[in-house]
Amino acid sequence: MSKLTRFLATAFVFLAAWLATLLGYVPVPEIAMEFVPALPLWIIVSFGAYSLASIGWSLVTFGDCPEAHQELLQEIQQAKADLRRLKVTVD
Amino acid sequence: MASLLTSLMGGSSATTRVASGDSLGLAPSDKYSVLLPTYNERANLPVIVWMLVKVFREYGINYEIVIIDDNSPDGTLDIAKQLQDAYGKEHIVLNPRPGKLGLGTAYIDGIKRATGNYIIIMDADMSHHPKFIPEFIRLQKQNNYDVVTGTRYTGSGGVHGWDLRRKLTSRVANYIAATLLQPGVSDLTGSFRLYKKPVLSKLISATISKGYVFQMEMMVRARQFGFTIGEVPITFVDRVYGESKMGADEIVGYLLGLFNLFAST
Ligand SMILES: Nc1nc2c(ncn2[C@@H]2O[C@H](COP(=O)(O)OP(=O)(O)OP(=O)(O)O)[C@@H](O)[C@H]2O)c(=O)[nH]1
Ligand SMILES: [Mg+2]
Repeated sequence: MSKLTRFLATAFVFLAAWLATLLGYVPVPEIAMEFVPALPLWIIVSFGAYSLASIGWSLVTFGDCPEAHQELLQEIQQAKADLRRLKVTVD
Repeated sequence: MASLLTSLMGGSSATTRVASGDSLGLAPSDKYSVLLPTYNERANLPVIVWMLVKVFREYGINYEIVIIDDNSPDGTLDIAKQLQDAYGKEHIVLNPRPGKLGLGTAYIDGIKRATGNYIIIMDADMSHHPKFIPEFIRLQKQNNYDVVTGTRYTGSGGVHGWDLRRKLTSRVANYIAATLLQPGVSDLTGSFRLYKKPVLSKLISATISKGYVFQMEMMVRARQFGFTIGEVPITFVDRVYGESKMGADEIVGYLLGLFNLFAST
């Protein structure tokens, strides 16, 4: 079973249960009916918010490495000098 | 044992080399083949090869570097030949191809030429620094991992030289892939990796995607086959020489490829 089919199956089961509840086939306390109608929307919005926060956070904490850049530039000079000695063209 | 030998022989310059080789846990028969696909890397190729040789010598690692050049218009192959003269045919193996046939097939052709029992895949543009290779090897040996992958996104890892747009693209690409496919690897689009040779052969023959998805699919397949994967934090410096090939086409291709994998694995 592919990840897509698994996802669709889960979504289908959930939606069926939600619809059944909404149409009164599943007995739930009165108070629960207050938020059952909005449940799918609520899940989608939460997931979206989580995704944005997660990506935002990973951008804020994105690691820089300026030392690695400096080190590389120096090493390139060293390499070029040695490569010229080995008769390799470095422009 | 080896370090004892050097001290008996009175070698001073070799002490660090052999001692470090020992601590990597290398077997005498171990050989590492680096696959370097190149397309217009005339400026980068000699320097990356020089840095590779430096690390391999320092740690006493048995190696070869397979250069897969796709008839680069800038004459990368001429430089590769000079490198072969400088470092020897046993260390520099040339695998020239008639035209730009793409990265995926470059690895396939490269593996065929490789004689090592381990394969290292990396970019030739110096974004991947050879200094991390001993860490890859050490971690692989310690845990007998099938794959060790470099990650820019944990611990001491990082990227230098990207603008916000490129950072955002990479993060979103990784987030979507991680959410949809859950391969449990923190840097899916990276391509600095060490593989046991048979593992890489098996993964490549199972992998269908091209472009950026290719690297990610390899990790998804690795999980599928139950291979073990280790991660080493790496620094990534954006290319100093040459032009970046990342554009809108690559992004659309990536998303389509991701969805294909979501639907088929
Ligand atoms: N043989 C071969 N090598 C290629 C081809 N396309 C890219 N490469 C090489 O593959 C490596 C990775 O390609 P890059 O262009 O650096 O891709 P990138 O790192 O995602 O993007 P930038 O570094 O921003 O350009 C480099 O060593 C390239 O020279 C190809 O079609 N054939
Ligand atoms: Mg690159």
